[in-house]
Amino acid sequence: MQQLINALLKYKNSLFYLGLLLLSLIFLNQRSFYHQSFFSDISLSISSRINLFSQGIVNYFSLKKINEQLRLENEMLKVLELAYQNNKVDKTAVLESFGFKITGARIIKNSYDKARNYIIINKGEADGIKTDTGVISSDGIIGIINQTTKSFSSILSLLHRDLKVNVSFKKNGAYGSMSWRGDHPKKMKLDDISTLNPVSIGDTIVTGGMSDYFPYGIPLGTVSKIERPKFEGYYEIDIELFSNLTQKEFVYIIKNKNLDQIEKLNPDE
Amino acid sequence: MNSNNLLSIFQFILLLFLQVFLLNNINLFGFINPNLYLLFFIVYRFNSNPTILIFLGFLMGLLLDLLTQGSGAHTIAALTIAFVRPIIIRATFGINYDIPMGMIEGTPQNQRFLYILMMIIIHHLLLYIIIYFSFESVLIILKNTLFTSFFTFIMVYMSLGLFKKGLND
Repeated sequence: MQQLINALLKYKNSLFYLGLLLLSLIFLNQRSFYHQSFFSDISLSISSRINLFSQGIVNYFSLKKINEQLRLENEMLKVLELAYQNNKVDKTAVLESFGFKITGARIIKNSYDKARNYIIINKGEADGIKTDTGVISSDGIIGIINQTTKSFSSILSLLHRDLKVNVSFKKNGAYGSMSWRGDHPKKMKLDDISTLNPVSIGDTIVTGGMSDYFPYGIPLGTVSKIERPKFEGYYEIDIELFSNLTQKEFVYIIKNKNLDQIEKLNPDE
Repeated sequence: MNSNNLLSIFQFILLLFLQVFLLNNINLFGFINPNLYLLFFIVYRFNSNPTILIFLGFLMGLLLDLLTQGSGAHTIAALTIAFVRPIIIRATFGINYDIPMGMIEGTPQNQRFLYILMMIIIHHLLLYIIIYFSFESVLIILKNTLFTSFFTFIMVYMSLGLFKKGLND
């Protein structure tokens, strides 16, 4: 003990310096946006490397299940392709007129136990991924990309309490904003639906066209609970999601090709 | 001892305000602001407690950053220069430096010159590395360090003449 105290006293200047240096680094991180993003860039690239390694091992054991999921999705796509050919629509014309570009990616880290969850995927700037891009999966939406490094990106998960997504009712187009309630990974809440609109349990919710990130009409979930206010106003609606965000492996990044045009018309954002 | 402490406090406040309200607004050639506040660390007594100097370095940088809306680079640079000052003193004046009251007067001219120059260049290099913080800006960092160090050095050397009287009390 005595030796420990002696050692502490001997190096007290260095320790004092390191302590104050840490304080000033925190200070720097708080005040300067550039340094903040520099530090968070470093931490993202370190954590994504570690997660890529561990996820690589885990993925090996779930290959069979993934295969099955991919086969099902392929079948569905095949049906769509046949339908197109039946209608004698030129396929390249359809793809070009569709305003979104799609890139596939694999999730290497997914969390759903916090109030603000992030997902990391194995595609980054080198693959043409940019921030503020929507991410979907085979049966719903995943989130929005908020940060990228050379070969990884971090996604603001749908299970992030501050993320609000523009959605609408499939049957009548009434739109509101959906956000996570923060307790269960399949339960979301829907705000801003006026009581003027008729709503019933079981209605299907799809993405609304007003979002810059997602195309119109991706099915998201169904209404599970409705609370009508005493007077006129807005419903409190609970939604049960179709997709289970706790066991996703593959996602698709959809980039809005016309985003610059939309932003030009929307100067206040 | 007491009068020395009072003198240090006076120097601290004077240099801090001089730096914030006058020198940071010079912008010579658009980017040169001499950092005269380094004078405090240069003339601080050699035989006093180094822990207090480290704390004063932190405080000086912090106040400077808060008053000038700086990002925090001055805090780290001033803190570090206060920490490495004993090493610089040993490197320039030799291991057995015997300058009890830390007056720079009475030391050989070239050693004094080297001491001031090293303090200034190390501080400025660190300051600009933290401000720019990327490999692409190496040239800008070196350019800023060179020019600002030069002007700081001139101002420090001129000001030493002013402090001479006060320090000999």
